[in-house]
Amino acid sequence: MTAPMMIVSLTALIVLAVESLKKRTETIDPTLAILGLVAAAVYAAATLGSSGTAFAGTVRTGGFAHFFAILFCASGILSIMLSKSYVAKASIEHGEFYSLILFAVVGMMLMASAADFVIFFLGLELMSVAFYILAGFARGRLMSNEAALKYFLLGAFATGFLLYGIALLYGSTGSTSIESVFEQAPRLIGSTIFLVGLALVMIGLTFKIAAVPFHMWAPDVYEGAPSTVTAFMSTGGKAAAFAAFLVIFAPKLTLLSFEVREILAAIAALSMIAGGLFAIAQSNIKRMLAYSSVAHAGYILTGIVAANSYGSSGVLFYLAAYTVMNIGAFGVVAILETKEGGFLTFDDYAGLSARKPFLAGLMALFMFSLAGIPPFAGFFGKYYVFVGAIEGGFTWLAIVGVLMSVVSAYYYLRLVVMMYFRSGEGTFDQPVARLALGALVLSAIAIIWMGLFPSLVVDLTSRFFS
Amino acid sequence: MISPFSIILSGFLFAAAAPLLQRFTRDRAHVILALYPLLTLLLLINEYGLVVDGPVIRESLSWVPSLGIGLSFALDGLAYFFALIITTIGLLVLLYASAYFKGDQRLPRFYLLFMSFMASMLGLVLADTLITLFVFWELTGVSSYFLIGFNNQRAAARAGALQALLVTGLGGLALLAGFIMLGNIAGSYDLPRIMESSAIIQQSPLYPAILFLLLLGAFTKSAQVPFHFWLPNAMEAPTPVSAYLHSATMVKAGIYLLARLSPALGGTELWHYALSIPGAITMLLGAFLAFGQTDLKRLLAYSTISALGTLTLLLGLYTDDAVKAALIFLFVHSLYKGALFMIAGSVDHESGTRDIRALGGLYLQMPATAAAAVLAALSMAGLPPLLGFISKELLYEAKLQAPVAAPFVTAAGVCANALIVALAAKFVLMTFFGQAHSTPKQPHEAPILMRIGPALLAGFGLIAGLLPDQLASRLIEGAVQAVRPEIAPVHFSLWHGFTDVLILSTLTVGAGIALFRWGGWLLVRGERMRVLASLGPARAYDSLLRGTLRLANALTDAIQDGTLRHYLLLALIFLCVLLGAAAAPLLRHGTLPAMSGIPFHEAATAVLIALGAVTVASSKSRFTAITALGVVGFGVSLIFLFYGAPDLALTQFSIETLSIVLFVLVLPRLPKLLDTSSLSTRIRDALLSSLLGLLVALLVLLGADAHAPSHLQEFFGEYSVPFAHGRNVVNVILVDFRSLDTIGEITVLLVSALGVYALMRSWPGERQ
Amino acid sequence: MHILLALVTGILFAGGLYLMLRRSIVKLAFGLALIAQAANLAIFTSSGLVRGEPPIIEAGGMRLAAVSSDPVPQALILTAIVIGFALLAFVIVLIKRAAWIVGTDDLDDLRNVDRTAT
Repeated sequence: MTAPMMIVSLTALIVLAVESLKKRTETIDPTLAILGLVAAAVYAAATLGSSGTAFAGTVRTGGFAHFFAILFCASGILSIMLSKSYVAKASIEHGEFYSLILFAVVGMMLMASAADFVIFFLGLELMSVAFYILAGFARGRLMSNEAALKYFLLGAFATGFLLYGIALLYGSTGSTSIESVFEQAPRLIGSTIFLVGLALVMIGLTFKIAAVPFHMWAPDVYEGAPSTVTAFMSTGGKAAAFAAFLVIFAPKLTLLSFEVREILAAIAALSMIAGGLFAIAQSNIKRMLAYSSVAHAGYILTGIVAANSYGSSGVLFYLAAYTVMNIGAFGVVAILETKEGGFLTFDDYAGLSARKPFLAGLMALFMFSLAGIPPFAGFFGKYYVFVGAIEGGFTWLAIVGVLMSVVSAYYYLRLVVMMYFRSGEGTFDQPVARLALGALVLSAIAIIWMGLFPSLVVDLTSRFFS
Repeated sequence: MISPFSIILSGFLFAAAAPLLQRFTRDRAHVILALYPLLTLLLLINEYGLVVDGPVIRESLSWVPSLGIGLSFALDGLAYFFALIITTIGLLVLLYASAYFKGDQRLPRFYLLFMSFMASMLGLVLADTLITLFVFWELTGVSSYFLIGFNNQRAAARAGALQALLVTGLGGLALLAGFIMLGNIAGSYDLPRIMESSAIIQQSPLYPAILFLLLLGAFTKSAQVPFHFWLPNAMEAPTPVSAYLHSATMVKAGIYLLARLSPALGGTELWHYALSIPGAITMLLGAFLAFGQTDLKRLLAYSTISALGTLTLLLGLYTDDAVKAALIFLFVHSLYKGALFMIAGSVDHESGTRDIRALGGLYLQMPATAAAAVLAALSMAGLPPLLGFISKELLYEAKLQAPVAAPFVTAAGVCANALIVALAAKFVLMTFFGQAHSTPKQPHEAPILMRIGPALLAGFGLIAGLLPDQLASRLIEGAVQAVRPEIAPVHFSLWHGFTDVLILSTLTVGAGIALFRWGGWLLVRGERMRVLASLGPARAYDSLLRGTLRLANALTDAIQDGTLRHYLLLALIFLCVLLGAAAAPLLRHGTLPAMSGIPFHEAATAVLIALGAVTVASSKSRFTAITALGVVGFGVSLIFLFYGAPDLALTQFSIETLSIVLFVLVLPRLPKLLDTSSLSTRIRDALLSSLLGLLVALLVLLGADAHAPSHLQEFFGEYSVPFAHGRNVVNVILVDFRSLDTIGEITVLLVSALGVYALMRSWPGERQ
Repeated sequence: MHILLALVTGILFAGGLYLMLRRSIVKLAFGLALIAQAANLAIFTSSGLVRGEPPIIEAGGMRLAAVSSDPVPQALILTAIVIGFALLAFVIVLIKRAAWIVGTDDLDDLRNVDRTAT
């Protein structure tokens, strides 16, 4: 059954209903939303071993889909935990906030479990629309509006291409089922229409994962959107798009002509290089993290290009690791951000280790993990996809990845240098909410746990692709 | 039985507990923390029998079985040898540091980092798989980074720390790449398996690449030319850190790696040249550059570089004698260099300066430290009866028997060693003897904990020199046999008789003393060379860093300028290329279908839509544009109607009406943009849009031609009535067969409505 | 007829793109609306045209006539039209909001992000 999706949808509706009954002055409470997500995650975890389809074979359940369901729920839970104090601080405490996050989670789940292109398209739209709204949620802030508008316009554009791609695939195969479309792949390998259809779907997804050359929206949107929303978009949203990538392409990529993989490999390499180079130049931490997410999209794509079980399950591991470390990093940013949206630059973080030792320590941990330094989770993610790429015959891509990892060490560790090796001025007197801190601690534990004992996740992920 | 894993794990536990211990014991944490290296040392000594004939202790924990990664450790002769050095010097430096940093607020953090480093270093030498080794390799890098940057208020310290990390970080990642390739060839990451696969590895076409990557890792860590520049800059670290990291442990990790992997990779011609040439250059350059230094620590750092070069050179030669000589020299060097670093720290600590020109005659105030310094310096100079002498004899023996270019290698060795003799003399004579100067602080003897370390290390150099066979040979033999099992037992003795080696030794000492006395001319030249040579790679590093930053800034400004249109433009150009490439074959082979047979009403509708589109695009008036948009929408719904899609036509019609109402209500009240883009921009955009429009038209045409028979159409056509009891198949699909799609669609509508609501609420301006 | 509809699609698309590349925020919305039309038409055309035979089963019949338009793309386009409208409604409000805050219709005013470190 598609129970996790149902649970989250129902929770979203209940949250919406409860909010509409409340008085304006009352504060909103995220407990219900968190409980709903936890319930969905627990259910998904319990049924991880199963596998099946629902709704006339248009939705897959169990296994892969439920793994992602857990990931999306985790991303949603952590973001909501961070958001409670954040939305209060930014005076954007409105009831629909949490239900929008929940709807986005439903959309992500639809994407990861789609067995049919139409379902996939709907999931993508649902998630995207929720994101457009969330990005502009701080509607009093110009930058937030700007973020929403840019995201929307480029996003709608990409969706148009995606839809057209689906239509072309249907036109050339007579089916919207993902499986039966690819069953016909060997026959249609020379068909321009089929390949263009694939390419258009791929471009639509490339936009969503923010890979070069469709990454330009990411820094502006990530910077302008409320920080906790950015945390959510950059992890859950990216993971969902990659899930769709895996569902649609991974098992069949080797069937396709080598050029398709070459193009993807070029996109991966460009993302790693451009993301890394742009990130160096940033003075704003949110923007730095945005470009780093472009670079990470490149690393994760490397696993997809590899088109083998190492690569594919590496993508899963990487996404799980990326979700916790990136939410952690954005979470620290969100906690430290001032009411007016300040305290976001590298210089602001100078000497943070003296003023907020615990937060600085957590941030350093997140940075080390993002840089891929063992024994944190990020290291195994990179290791996994690089091994996949080498085995898949893309050694050059792995080498680009390794080289760009050095560059990435520079911009992540620059922040650590700032926090630990600089003295800063001014005092820092903002209260730190317990719930938000709890989210950070949970992320940190997950990072260390996945770094020290990766095999629990690895065993799980490799099962889906053996 | 000794368990390597528990040793490493408890090291990290001690590290984690250190800050708390410091609080509870009121600044006496070192007493408890010292237990860790002490107990480990005792455990190791208890296993002494193992180093020669005992079986290798192996321990394997499953870690990531599905990736073939285990957490395996092995305690063989080589690991034992390094572990002994790490724990002994670690113990002494820990005690030394507790006095050095006495009363310092940052001591808890220091202990945490120091103990983590020690445990990581032990992990590195005990690791039995490549991945385990890599993990600990990086851990030493990270903890050393924080240790070097410990004096964090100084800009130089920060730069030094970052430089050390970036250089060794580059090496570390190269190492990872090399390890993965190595593991791929050998089929396993386990070291024993890799040793067995030696032949396969050396014949593999990837062998040069692997060697290159691994050497990059080892050379950056062990400060070989041209990566040597980070080590002197890392001298910004507090002295206890240098005494530990930069004499005996971290910088030796690269050497350890080379020794460890030499059975698998070594012995080839490539190995020989790739190691011995950089090694020889490093040996000479390090010694030469050290000569011009006036800062005690930098002097030691450069002489360490020279020693590391010697070690690399010897491992490159890879003869029996060379391996033996390398390991004994490594041992000796760790002893005297650890002692000398601590002594330099004591001098700095008690007198307030480590500038050699401002020091002198300290033996009066610091007699115990001076005595240790003399012993350590004698060992460094390689004079009998110290262990350093034995090591130097072996060095010369190995160099004389070098397989290629032995005379050159020997001559280089003599030059470097003569310089080292002069350095040893300079260090001890100019600091402790000669004329006293006034120093920033009134010098006095260092506290007892800061004397123990140097005294024990230097003293051991003397005792082991007198009793080499009893104290050192079995240890070295164990290590040598771990690398090359076929080597005959090792025996050391102080006196070899009158051989050519002894002549070389005498020559070296004589030349060294001469250099010290009359080497002023060399100093001047060295000063000039120092500027040139040290700035070469360091400047390369700087300009690489700065160039990358500038490139990054320029690119960001050029591409990410925050303008939506430019983002779109770039994406469109990419699309154009992609679609163009796809449509190219069509242009060559395709034939266009004829335009005939089109009914008038259809043609008229098409023209209407096209005209509408052009009007929308070109109109200056918003009302005209909205009207034209309406024309387009109604035209499209007519097309739907003509081609058997009445449902679509109806939906399109009503939605279009709603859209126009929305447009009319909202848009005309917005402020108007008066200045428009330049003509050239408009032409560029028009051209690009037209090109893409043309491509899309072509693809649509192609798609219509290539249309495959739809299985779904058959399916729905067949089952609509019997299963769903509906005759309008489109409706049946929407509400029955694919009801989930419709629910999804409704949800999207709901969410959009939420968005509109969120935006409309509390519209501040409207009410005023 | 294919060729004519294909051309119309191309023109709609080109017009939409041209509008999206303009500086005026309002024109962006127009462009988006045109592109939505183009996409629907493209799907409609490229999945095969059958003149005047709606996919409706005759009263009394049990299955769809052999020659009739394909119902599947129609269902897809229906979904797309509805979603397209939802998006259009949202973006119109969003544009109004943004224009209200900036005070102009100029998209180039919407670049208030930090760019580089120097």
